[in-house]
Amino acid sequence: MSGGSRRPYRTLSHTADTGIEVEGATLDDVYANAAFGMFDQVVDLSSCTPEVEFTVRAEAADPAELLVELLGELLAVAEIRRVIPCRFEMRQVTDTSAEMDVAATPVDRVQHHGPPVKAVTYHDLEVIQSDRGWKARVLFDI
Amino acid sequence: MKLRRVSDVEWEIAATGSMRVPGRIFASEALLVKAEADRATSQVANVAHLPGIVGASMAMPDIHWGYGFPIGGVAATDIAEGGVVSPGGVGFDICCGVRLLSSRFTAAEFGHRSQAVMGELDRRIPRGLGAGSVAAGRLLGDVLERGAAAVLDAGYGWVSDLDRCEEGGTSAGADPGAVSARAKERGVGQLGSLGGGNHFLEIQVVDRIEDEAAADAFGLKAGMVTVMIHCGSRGLGHQTCTDALKVMGPAMQRHGISVPDRQLAAVPVDSREGQHYLGAMAAAANFAWANRHVLAHEARQAFAAAFDIAPEDLGMTLVYDVAHNLAKVERHLISGRLRDLCVHRKGATRAFGPGHPVLTADLAEVGQPVLVPGSMGTASWVLAGSAANPAFGSAAHGAGRLMSRKAAARRQHGRGVRSELEQRGIAVRPGSVKLLAEEAPYAYKDVDAVVEVCDRAELARPVARLVPLGVVKG
Repeated sequence: MSGGSRRPYRTLSHTADTGIEVEGATLDDVYANAAFGMFDQVVDLSSCTPEVEFTVRAEAADPAELLVELLGELLAVAEIRRVIPCRFEMRQVTDTSAEMDVAATPVDRVQHHGPPVKAVTYHDLEVIQSDRGWKARVLFDI
Repeated sequence: MKLRRVSDVEWEIAATGSMRVPGRIFASEALLVKAEADRATSQVANVAHLPGIVGASMAMPDIHWGYGFPIGGVAATDIAEGGVVSPGGVGFDICCGVRLLSSRFTAAEFGHRSQAVMGELDRRIPRGLGAGSVAAGRLLGDVLERGAAAVLDAGYGWVSDLDRCEEGGTSAGADPGAVSARAKERGVGQLGSLGGGNHFLEIQVVDRIEDEAAADAFGLKAGMVTVMIHCGSRGLGHQTCTDALKVMGPAMQRHGISVPDRQLAAVPVDSREGQHYLGAMAAAANFAWANRHVLAHEARQAFAAAFDIAPEDLGMTLVYDVAHNLAKVERHLISGRLRDLCVHRKGATRAFGPGHPVLTADLAEVGQPVLVPGSMGTASWVLAGSAANPAFGSAAHGAGRLMSRKAAARRQHGRGVRSELEQRGIAVRPGSVKLLAEEAPYAYKDVDAVVEVCDRAELARPVARLVPLGVVKG
């Protein structure tokens, strides 16, 4: 499960918005690390204590579009449930579908340290196989 | 990216490869250097690939790197010629915009009650994550249909507000049925909330008048305290754009359209997918008009409580409310012929000049108010639309970012930014201290330089300069 004190992503510099790059041995790792990286922009996830659990699902045409779809679904569900997801575990992943188990903490229990992520963009999007497994790049609208 | 100097405030990117039109950037040399340092100029070229685009892919003086479209991008497509609509040319925060209220107060009068006003605003203006909302979610259906008129009928604001709002506060063609259930779920608890990022509610004072006649028509005078609100359609708008982008990827292939950046996905305005998006977009825009209307109501309530005066005696009338993230069907004269265009303004403000038929009688002689917020702690401007506008009636929408959020946060901690603002007499009520660091004044370009280019390029002419007295941030 992606979480804890490590930072499994790199923040990219963008003039107005922000983005992350993540790596993982498997596609599962990349998706879980990207989810962690997205919410860690907003809240220091290492300080969060999960209180609720839920599952999100996404489908798309290819692994890159699937990443956007999955992260977008997480943003929407988190906003509706008024929680900050802080632990992420892939239940099932194919090139076109994903199911993720999420543990989250109520939004009023955490200290925000960054502006909310509005949305996940397709700009400069990349999910590719690398020498060490998989890597992805995704930009957010802030 | 090779740029040809057209004048000292206009630059052209020649149409090469599969670009359908040239790129045209309105900027001084200094502002252009900043835009070239990131990838904004190549994004201007990318937008020039959109089917049906006419004239040029344009950028305003506050241009900076966006995602797909540059921020400050303007693109008009000819609907009869297969012109497209691109949700990325509107952005996720559909109908994000600015609302400005006047008041009867001077800076000195505000100073005597500033702590009370800021305290009331702090308490009344929901902002940041999970902040709740002012207005009840049961209004959502009517709001998507009728925008500001729906919340007016529910008891927020004044009838006169609608006259000073772009579109009268109600976007035509709204199709609430085209807004997804997920988007509605996100919006239902957010009607009357500021959000985060660069959104704000600011107390300002008119520090200088540049055009007395226009200022008079707008209801502004030197020394007057004003309230500026910058926010948009919240999660409902973000989800509406997300939903459209997902559909438009495969739809684009069906229509035989290819674009250099997936975020520029577009379909013909006249297609089923195009009409569906425009209906959903207009409904999301209605949420944004209503959102700013409700927040303005709360600002009036805050002043009324702090000064112990009835809201209608505060002189807090609406100067104007204008969007800077929207696609609209407008009629423009192109090569001597009136054509119906889909005008995308992504981080650009509509700026119609004197005599434009959509303006109300009180604005017809001077042109539409154009609201250009600066960065936190710096000046903002009110401009007036110019009849000679060369950019489909568009002008800048702000200062434009200069530094990345990461770089700005590295330079100084938010506590230091707050302390510097307070030393300059600006009261600050932040939702997040880190956000203050990211939104520090030095992270943005000089708004005065942006306005000077607007003036020289005849995008819009300066009317009044406003400086901040208090800031409520997301």
